[in-house]
Amino acid sequence: MALLRGSGKHNGIDYHFEGIVDGSGGSGVAHERELLAFADAAIDPSQMAAEQGAALAACAGREAMRDAAAVIAGFDAITRVADATGIPLEAPKAEASVEWRDRLGIDEFWRMKV
Amino acid sequence: MRQDLRDALSKTWPELGRAGVWWTGSQRVKMVREVRKARTCALCGARKVALSPHTLAGRHDTATDLPEAAIEAIHRIVTDPGRLSEAWYRRTIDSSLTDAAYVELVSVVAITTAVDTFDRGCGQSMRELPAARPGEPRRRRPVGAKPGLGWMPMLAPEDVTADDPPLYASAGRIGGNVHRALSLVPEAMMQFWDLFETMYLPQHAMRDFGQEYRAIDHAQIEMLAARVAVRNQCVY
Repeated sequence: MALLRGSGKHNGIDYHFEGIVDGSGGSGVAHERELLAFADAAIDPSQMAAEQGAALAACAGREAMRDAAAVIAGFDAITRVADATGIPLEAPKAEASVEWRDRLGIDEFWRMKV
Repeated sequence: MRQDLRDALSKTWPELGRAGVWWTGSQRVKMVREVRKARTCALCGARKVALSPHTLAGRHDTATDLPEAAIEAIHRIVTDPGRLSEAWYRRTIDSSLTDAAYVELVSVVAITTAVDTFDRGCGQSMRELPAARPGEPRRRRPVGAKPGLGWMPMLAPEDVTADDPPLYASAGRIGGNVHRALSLVPEAMMQFWDLFETMYLPQHAMRDFGQEYRAIDHAQIEMLAARVAVRNQCVY
């Protein structure tokens, strides 16, 4: 989220995070609907993502679809690295994100750890 | 497909079949099989929807003869990573895994996840298991690794010695906490990060918002990253 905020600042766009968290959209990112649907399908091992991938390729191109698949795959993995090793957020990142982590319900994830 | 991505996948996947630092090639291939088995494990499925995963006892559906602690670690990291805790980690490694063997296991789980998710996203079936190669684990622990940051000791950039692989310097990695996560096994850390940075962005490009490096732009990349992190209930 912090890097999306940075990207928005650079481009003069105020991206909205709520729709990314709940999947409803409205973030302001190009091809958002196709990208979010593709991400949700690709990380679900119970389904293939062919239909969502084709929809994304149709509007953004095949290379965009492959690069999106790569980003999704990388983050499907690195989130597991972070969660399986107990690394904390760096203090400056934690401080900078305190408002929107609370607002978006991301801090709830800490409380789910058992 | 980008040539660098094709090369990274072609290099990393067979490496899973080579002896690591704490596991043999055969054991690492078994981990890959177990990652895939975990996705359909009945116990993991029931635990995933339970209020607490610890309320359900039982045995995992397994595909290998890996030690029970390794099976438990693989299945939980694959199917319910957002609810892993330090208490679970301590219980798991106390039973028979060392901290360093656990870290290498995490790297194998992560690489398998990355490759399988990418193939699924591209509409391809899962690739064949890597071939297990002969060889003994090197069993070398970085002397500068210190406890205190995460659940296990980690190697800070300032504690890297000439005997350690250049896990940070080789790719301009700043040594953020997520870089340090696998640093107790520097070879495993580098193997994962070399693939990850090819899938996502190299270090220098992450905050270079004035230039695009992929067929999707920075905002699209970061939105995808955020969505996957939320779905996996990852705070970091």
